[in-house]
Amino acid sequence: MSSRILPDFDLLLPQSIPDAVELLSAHRDRITVMAGGTDVMVAMKFAQSPAQLPDYVMSLENVPGLAYVLFDPERGLRIGAKATVADLLAQSEVKRHYRALWHAAQTFATGQVRNTATVLGNLLRASPAGDCSCAIYAIGGVVVLHGTSGRREVDIDDFWLSYGVTARRPDELAVELILPLPAAGSRSAFKRMTRTSEDLAKLNVAVRLEMSGNTCVDARLAMGCVAPTPLRLTRTEALLKGRELTAEVLQRVAASVPWEISPIDDKRSTAEYRKQVSGVLLKRAIQEACGAA
Amino acid sequence: MSEQAIVGTNAPRVDVRDKVTGQAQYAADVRLPGMLYGKVVRCWEHAHARVKRLDLSAAAASPGVVRVLGPKDVTPKRYNSSVLDLMVSESMHDMLGDIDDQPIFTEHVKFQGDAICGIIARSEEAAERAAAKVVVEYEPLPVYLTAEAAKAPGAVQFTPEKPGNRAFQLPEAMFPNNALGGGDVEAAMREADIVVEDAFYVPKQKQCQMEPHAYVAKVDSGGRLTCWTSSQMPKLVQRKLAKLFDLPMNLVKIVPTVIGGGFGTRLGMISEPQACAMALAVPGHPVKLQTLREEDWVISPSRHPGKYWMRIGFKRDGSPLACDARFENYKGGYYLDASGTAFTAGAWLGGMYRFPALRYRGESYFTNQGLTGAYRGYGNPQTNFVLEQLIDRACAGLGADPVEWRKKWHKGVGDDGWCPGVTYPSCALDECLDRGAAAIGWTEKRRKYARQTGTLRRGVGVAVMNHTSGAMPMLLEHTACTVKLNEDATAEILFACSDMGQGSHTALKQIAAETLGFPFEHVQLSGGTSDVAGFDIGAHASRTIYVGGAAVKKACEEVRRQLCERASLQLGVPAEQLDIRDKRIFVQADPARGIDAEAITRAGVYHFVDPATGEPGGVPGQIQGYVSFFAPHNSPPFGASFAEVEVDTETGEVRVLELVNAHDIGRAINPAAVEGQLEGGIQQGLGFVLSEEICYDADGRVQNNSFTDYKMFGPEDMPKITTILVEDADPIGPFGAKSVGESGLVSPVGAVANAIFHAIGIQFTEAPITPEKVLKGIRETGVRDYGSIGGGR
Repeated sequence: MSSRILPDFDLLLPQSIPDAVELLSAHRDRITVMAGGTDVMVAMKFAQSPAQLPDYVMSLENVPGLAYVLFDPERGLRIGAKATVADLLAQSEVKRHYRALWHAAQTFATGQVRNTATVLGNLLRASPAGDCSCAIYAIGGVVVLHGTSGRREVDIDDFWLSYGVTARRPDELAVELILPLPAAGSRSAFKRMTRTSEDLAKLNVAVRLEMSGNTCVDARLAMGCVAPTPLRLTRTEALLKGRELTAEVLQRVAASVPWEISPIDDKRSTAEYRKQVSGVLLKRAIQEACGAA
Repeated sequence: MSEQAIVGTNAPRVDVRDKVTGQAQYAADVRLPGMLYGKVVRCWEHAHARVKRLDLSAAAASPGVVRVLGPKDVTPKRYNSSVLDLMVSESMHDMLGDIDDQPIFTEHVKFQGDAICGIIARSEEAAERAAAKVVVEYEPLPVYLTAEAAKAPGAVQFTPEKPGNRAFQLPEAMFPNNALGGGDVEAAMREADIVVEDAFYVPKQKQCQMEPHAYVAKVDSGGRLTCWTSSQMPKLVQRKLAKLFDLPMNLVKIVPTVIGGGFGTRLGMISEPQACAMALAVPGHPVKLQTLREEDWVISPSRHPGKYWMRIGFKRDGSPLACDARFENYKGGYYLDASGTAFTAGAWLGGMYRFPALRYRGESYFTNQGLTGAYRGYGNPQTNFVLEQLIDRACAGLGADPVEWRKKWHKGVGDDGWCPGVTYPSCALDECLDRGAAAIGWTEKRRKYARQTGTLRRGVGVAVMNHTSGAMPMLLEHTACTVKLNEDATAEILFACSDMGQGSHTALKQIAAETLGFPFEHVQLSGGTSDVAGFDIGAHASRTIYVGGAAVKKACEEVRRQLCERASLQLGVPAEQLDIRDKRIFVQADPARGIDAEAITRAGVYHFVDPATGEPGGVPGQIQGYVSFFAPHNSPPFGASFAEVEVDTETGEVRVLELVNAHDIGRAINPAAVEGQLEGGIQQGLGFVLSEEICYDADGRVQNNSFTDYKMFGPEDMPKITTILVEDADPIGPFGAKSVGESGLVSPVGAVANAIFHAIGIQFTEAPITPEKVLKGIRETGVRDYGSIGGGR
């Protein structure tokens, strides 16, 4: 059972990124980082045992300058650790250049949660169902981490290690996410299936295609809720690369997806159903990216 | 009476301003000096177990703890948290077999969340910390989640009073062969040209009211127990608590708090017994007891799920011959409401069509699921899902139009309603069907969607329903109402039936103002505490306007009679020739002649002697009207729903595009409120048929006890809604009104299922009809044009 009362913890309020890193380094596994708090607070209320509870909650509230969503026409998009999903939606270039992410953000949770939850928090939660995570995986990018031994970048392809676990080291603070500038001819789309509109995904998919006419030069396909982490569909990507997107190719692509995923039965759907519709959803995302749907 | 000025208007809701500004006081908002905080320790790890050892010592020693209460520290008496047993005579009670089987704290856990012990502490935090220190050792027992499992030989018995774990079956003494209906079903079936038959499953649905259950209880120095609760039935809870704690009713006071949504979940008691047991342990100190959402989820009753089998026979010309049905529902761990739904599901079935022969058998079995009881519709959506799909299957086989078939064979004026011998006094279902069909474009769309190609397939479906306005003659229908006039000719009405947020108190005020001839703003209506208000059985069975409104009207008519009689003395005109409007009593034939009501009410209260004449002025005495009203009938409402859906044949997803609810409500006292009821009903009906179901794991633990995983339709999921109020005044209801509180939920269920059938030619026997089930159905049988179907699946 959950609790009406938050368990005891010490609230830490660093004033800068180095402050935050120092605190992380000092408390390591006993500390949790909070930006929007939409996951942290729920997890604390529903913790099954004291072992799951942090002794320290470090809020980024007073760390200045992390709430940005900045688009640079030459370098791409930078999303700060405190930028909310609503902040992302408010940046007009996102819809134009990162359609998949914009769409994921737009359908993400509810209005109240979008106003509070951060984009980076969605990545750091490392849930296979994260909508923004799925879109970002397809788009590609790097997570910038600051730790006691300095700054490093982790490619999103290497970021999620297992359910709930990321490449972030205990002494590191995820400071920002950088998405590359899409190449000319690049397009993306995001689709998800839910039980009702306001829900976690039972299946989500995002695609980024580099097109030359009707030929797919390169493709990144990401799918959620079908493995312990968001999943790249690399074998299916190979079926697209260099191919003209004919109905036959799309059919082959759709048929390939169930072989690449390993979904489970859970509260939101069944493994069987997810396998059955995974190809359909991917096909529709590709069609949408190409403007055909 | 002259033409109505207030009844039939959208008078502003009396409760809304407080609610939207946060001023409404719910039980959780009650704060009293010296208040302590209770916490019920529940068994969360098992759904069926015996308590082998309970050690409260560490909890008792925890900081801030005032008392800990185990099963032996409270009354050993058991209770039945439902109130149905108080609404029937003692002989009926015995015949139905109602029992009291719920302990305050248990040693035999019968469902996940059963109460083990209680903590009383100086703060909520202290109570919760102490609760974590309670040591309980359990002996797990086999878990039974279905009737089949619970009735198997050798199964652990839930109570010695109900052998075989059968909580209820229709009693032989009232229903020969334990079946509701009449005629020779077997013989009639043999004459049938077409028989449709299937076994269905109906889901367990949660009311999802916004306010989690909360209570404050206190025992004062005189030994009087007061309980603040948002129960839908405060007066019956007063009697229940008095009985449980062996107190005379005058020493039990109920303070009804604002209800944050009911939908049946507050029909009776939930944790009042635990809250009051705690208060009795610490006299002088109020104790507040609040529930978490996931606690509320299991301890408050949900809609009865179960297996529902039905078979219907027809002649080739479409005439129905016989209906045979059996609903075996899965109770939770305790008896409450076991008789109710098992009976009513069949009652609604019997009230719908003119089956020459009918046999309905209803049974309830204990299981280790969370509790089941009242939920808006009370057995009706279950029956609608089954009956209306089978009717459409038959129509497909017969080549009959589902609207025309229903118009021909539904029951109407003079036929028996849901209760044999109580006939329908009014019925405008044909008009509902006609206007609903026109609104959705029935004829054109039925034809158009009968042959389709492509991934997305559309369909339109219809379903009808009957319900009730109060539960007479099955249950007691009694409401007392007092109306008193202040000296300035404003009215104060005392009426114990709660407003659950449906707008009932607003509509009752309209009825009062209309009857009195007073402005709406000069009428006050209060629920009143149990020591002040008269008897009322509570807000259930869609009775508040039909029964309560009639009581208010009668009490106001009494006041009006007294006003006219006093005015008659002054005007020299017989009282029956007078009328009242805007608080002025005037001669009907000569409206210029009249007297202000205030002159009469003032003189009645301030009855001074005129020093000049030595004579008193006017008639002495404050005017009051009182009625102890018993409803003479149950004037059932009817409704027809039309749904248009789009089925994605590649994913199985169903989108509801439009839902038309056309209802025969007799007369709308407040049309906006009536439309609100029909719209809200649609939201819950769509959930029943498409998305909502409480699920358990094999050990009986709830899998979805939060809004994260229990999915109701939200604003974005809702279709275009059209509500049609068919106003054909009922000869009995106040101002012609029949009920509307529950009925809006019911027929959207069948209409959506039938629209899916029309779209893809497949019927689904298990609700909710999820995309997973639809896709499975499509993969098994393929999408079929409705136009190519003969004889159903």
